[in-house]
Amino acid sequence: MTAPLAQLRRVSKTYGAGEHAVTALSDADLEIHPGEVMLIEGPSGSGKTTLISILGLLLKPTGGEIIVGGKDASRMTERELPDLRASTFGFIFQGFNLFPALSAVENVALAIRMKDARAKDPTGQAHKLLDQVGLSARAHHLPADMSGGQKQRVAIARALGGNPPIIVGDEPTAALDTKTALGVMELLRGLATDQGRAVVVVTHDPRLERFADRVVRVEDGRIESNLRAAHALAS
Amino acid sequence: MPVWNLAKKILLHDRVKFVVASAGVSISVMLVLVQIGLYAGFMQTASTLIDHSHADVWVTRQAAENFDFSSPLDDRTYYRVASTPGVARAERMILAFAQMKLDDGGDLGIQVIGIEHGARLMGPWNVVAGDRARLGEPGAITIDRSEYAKLKIRDVGHRTEIFGARAEVVALTDGIRSFTTSPLIFTDLQSARTFVRYGAEMENYVLVQIAPGADATAVRDALRTIPHVDAYTTAEMSARTQTYWSSRTGIGATFFMTAILSVIVGLVVVGQILYNGTLQHLREYGTLKAMGAKNGAVVRVIVYQALISAAVGFVVGGGLAFGAQASMKGANLIVALSPSLFVATAVVTVVMCALASMLSIIKVLRLDPASVFKV
Repeated sequence: MTAPLAQLRRVSKTYGAGEHAVTALSDADLEIHPGEVMLIEGPSGSGKTTLISILGLLLKPTGGEIIVGGKDASRMTERELPDLRASTFGFIFQGFNLFPALSAVENVALAIRMKDARAKDPTGQAHKLLDQVGLSARAHHLPADMSGGQKQRVAIARALGGNPPIIVGDEPTAALDTKTALGVMELLRGLATDQGRAVVVVTHDPRLERFADRVVRVEDGRIESNLRAAHALAS
Repeated sequence: MPVWNLAKKILLHDRVKFVVASAGVSISVMLVLVQIGLYAGFMQTASTLIDHSHADVWVTRQAAENFDFSSPLDDRTYYRVASTPGVARAERMILAFAQMKLDDGGDLGIQVIGIEHGARLMGPWNVVAGDRARLGEPGAITIDRSEYAKLKIRDVGHRTEIFGARAEVVALTDGIRSFTTSPLIFTDLQSARTFVRYGAEMENYVLVQIAPGADATAVRDALRTIPHVDAYTTAEMSARTQTYWSSRTGIGATFFMTAILSVIVGLVVVGQILYNGTLQHLREYGTLKAMGAKNGAVVRVIVYQALISAAVGFVVGGGLAFGAQASMKGANLIVALSPSLFVATAVVTVVMCALASMLSIIKVLRLDPASVFKV
């Protein structure tokens, strides 16, 4: 097996202190491998969002270690984290979060430029990324003129800006109809299979498990199971 | 595509909000320009006689605070001034109020400027009709075109009375107006004494031209040794007159307070629009931060939006100010729009819009990138 791109080791997160302390995540261990699609499932409030926020270096854990690209990110300062985040992670969301005033190519180019102010030809890079997600024909359309699936493809192209090895999605198919949702997951599956990227997706939708290599189940702030997808389907 | 263009697109996407923000800045800019321009115009008018003179030093009665209300001097003072070392030329001048008889039987307060026959240091300028050389004739006067409506006089040759003494219009000028709103009438020194009921050897200013190579301040200091008089260089006299009207009457505070209020209104309008826009795009900004965008890069997008609002508002506001200047000219009001006023207003506009973006910047700086998962 290849070396993991990121590892969580006994990671915990507690909000508040004393009597009001709420533990959102306890002793979570997780490895993210290249070329792997991982689904994170669990009921609302189970700790899924906390888990991917910590994995994506958006939230500091109260305990444990996060190893990203061989570096212990849990010991990094707030000033050091954005650079590591920019080079390692791309994010996609249920609500797409695209600037309505900017065309597809401009949304992607802005993200590339924001990640790296010295990026060469961000517009050219954005066109290539839109081509990868099958949207080159809609490059100059505004989000308002696109379907939900097309917007999510733009968001995926934006997440690929800067060539991050890990794509983290927070319910990226929740706002889409079944056919479109499956199309988006096929695209994400392809990014893992064809480009060796790791894809981590939080979802409530069990139909997506057929695209996954691994399914992680979170309940009450604990990782209850972490199984190969075939085992998960069988169970 | 540069971040500048992206900021412009984000700003222009909601046209209505952009128009409101630009209108806020434009009106603010116009009000600042017009208020300060009007103030500068009033100050120009207050010292216009001094600024158009060819004198180097002005001699007046001691402790005379106001140029327009000076006490009389007598000819002995004039002769002492004229004989002071460093003085090449001295001319007597009267500036005092009188009453002119109108055609309809009424009277109107006027300011009479009496100058010596052949005066070189003071005289009417912008003569547009008639013959200035006839001012030496007894009772000859000039009137200004801007005062036609008040005086009900339009032509050279018109005859009237000033405090019962005969007067005849021999020349018309353009743009010679008084801060006191009383029309300015040029006449010869002897006629002026009659019109304002001064004695035969009375005047209230002595204008001095210094000898070549002499130092104006040194001559001024020498003239101050003459009993009961004050002396000022022309620049000092001009500034002193403007300061009197500006500070002693409260006119300066009034105009500047309005200008400051205009800036505050612009600040609030632009700030509100930018802040609303930032709130509207908070998820998108959060996404950029989540993806590793540094605070500086995101802040730049907001600052550029503020600067675009400033630029558009300044151009439109400047145009409106020129329009106001043209329309106020008809009402005999001078809006002095100088290049330095435009530069200063441009700086104020940029600072105003930058300050207006502060709330938005603070909001974005405090935006937790993890919040994008919570929306």
